Amino acid sequence: MRAGRLQPWTLLVACVVAIYGFILGPIAITTAVSFNATNRSFFPPRGFSLKWWGEAFAPQWLQPLQFSLELAALTALIATIVGVPLAFAFARHEFAGKGLIRAITLGPLILPTLVTGIALLQFLTTIGLGRWMGYWALLIGHVVICLPFSVRTIAISLQAMPGSVESAAAGLGASPLRVLRHVTLPLITPGVFAGMSFAFIHSFTDINLSLFVAKPGQRPITVAILSFLDFGFAPTLAALSIISLLIPLLLVALLGRFIGIGNFLYQEQARG
Amino acid sequence: MLVSNQRRSWMPYLLVAAPAGFLLFFFILPAASLLSASLMEYDGSLPTGEWTLENFELLLTRPLYINAIIRTFVVGGAVGLLVVLLSYPLAYFLVRTTSLWRNLLIAVSLAPLLASVIVRTYGWWVILNREGAINSVLQSLGMIDKPLIMLPSTVAIVVGLTHALLPYGVLTIMASLNGLNPNLERAAMSLGASRTRTFFAVTLPLTAPGIVGGFLLAFAIAISAYATPAILGGPSTEVMATMIRNFMVSTLDWGPGAAMGAILIVSAIALLLLTSWIGDRRREA
Repeated sequence: MRAGRLQPWTLLVACVVAIYGFILGPIAITTAVSFNATNRSFFPPRGFSLKWWGEAFAPQWLQPLQFSLELAALTALIATIVGVPLAFAFARHEFAGKGLIRAITLGPLILPTLVTGIALLQFLTTIGLGRWMGYWALLIGHVVICLPFSVRTIAISLQAMPGSVESAAAGLGASPLRVLRHVTLPLITPGVFAGMSFAFIHSFTDINLSLFVAKPGQRPITVAILSFLDFGFAPTLAALSIISLLIPLLLVALLGRFIGIGNFLYQEQARG
Repeated sequence: MLVSNQRRSWMPYLLVAAPAGFLLFFFILPAASLLSASLMEYDGSLPTGEWTLENFELLLTRPLYINAIIRTFVVGGAVGLLVVLLSYPLAYFLVRTTSLWRNLLIAVSLAPLLASVIVRTYGWWVILNREGAINSVLQSLGMIDKPLIMLPSTVAIVVGLTHALLPYGVLTIMASLNGLNPNLERAAMSLGASRTRTFFAVTLPLTAPGIVGGFLLAFAIAISAYATPAILGGPSTEVMATMIRNFMVSTLDWGPGAAMGAILIVSAIALLLLTSWIGDRRREA
């Protein structure tokens, strides 16, 4: 009886181990390849060298990396500033047209990012703002596609907050502004930061939008890596890939320590 | 809420006006104009305003384009199936395990979400190329003489996308398993059903909406994916996203590009309706 019960579970664990191998294998192999001593992406690596890691920090790559970081940071900031009032409206108010505005806000999650990109490219060109291509178009597009992440996360933290806390403060004589400043905002701060980091990560890892609106010289790291791939798969790219994986990972690990970002990721999905 | 709603009825509009205006101008209007322009004659990269079905006719009459469209949806379906197939056991394990490492295991299974698709696809190129991991291992074992040609291929694209989209399946199915009333499974087992039978008769059917949701999510992202098909595919394995890139950037032939974009928009809306219809049915049930 006991063995019969354990068997399916053992089988499941075996499957799960294989699936983890599938998930982590390519990332592990990419890491290994970056230490090749040759200039080709051999696996298993031939020899050991750190020169590709050195090359990954050359200006040619630092420039797009810095560009991506700045773009993602600015995008996350704007998405949060725009996202807080939206989240308040969705979580705290009933008003005509709410469903429509919510659909517009979350729309970029439904519409493929690539379509958002070509639509923006064509729209700006058609209305004569083609000169906005490059930085402005990138920033606008990234805010559009990252906004749903900050709005949803902030709205979740507003909904999770017991309304009685605010009523209590108001009942004790605090003005609405004081309630907002001393009760509401401190309580949703973790949610705001979680939303900000989701927006940052989504912007930092985007390729489908940037591909169409970025200009040479102002390219995010993902576009730079992709266009360099045409010239072959140098181990430098493996090193760069790992660097651009580590940045969001560090951000989440750091934030996870302070605000438990995992809870938000989880709740977000559960609420659809 | 303490604040009287009547006195503050203008408040929500004040809150949403600026963001909604921004989205209207930079998201809705561009998408709508892409849709309408797909039905217009183009002069290079500018729609002329003359209505025509030419763009769609072109896409649906040239084998090259039809094949790309068909390949896109086949890839999407295959990726959706594989994602569900692989993420169900993983999600089930993560929800049911009592391991101390549970949180770490969840984090690791979701970590790929933090990496750009490029990072995730690069590893597959290293594994599958002519001098790649698989070929060097097989050759050193003496199992093959000549390297296997695995790239570019549609299968490689499917494998790469499955890998990239697996976390979405895991999240969706975990949410569905977490929402399951544990008493139902207990009841089945107390009535004498084995663990395996309980799983197939109770757990699996009740989490079917999660399975369908995971499939549709992976499908929707897969049909518009660019980087993976661009890296693991080639001229013989074009999909809609790589074609759109050619139209919009290389050949500056925006008419058919807009038409392909329109096909993606319509598919996305159809998938959304399908998903919410399934969600409604689940609530009714």
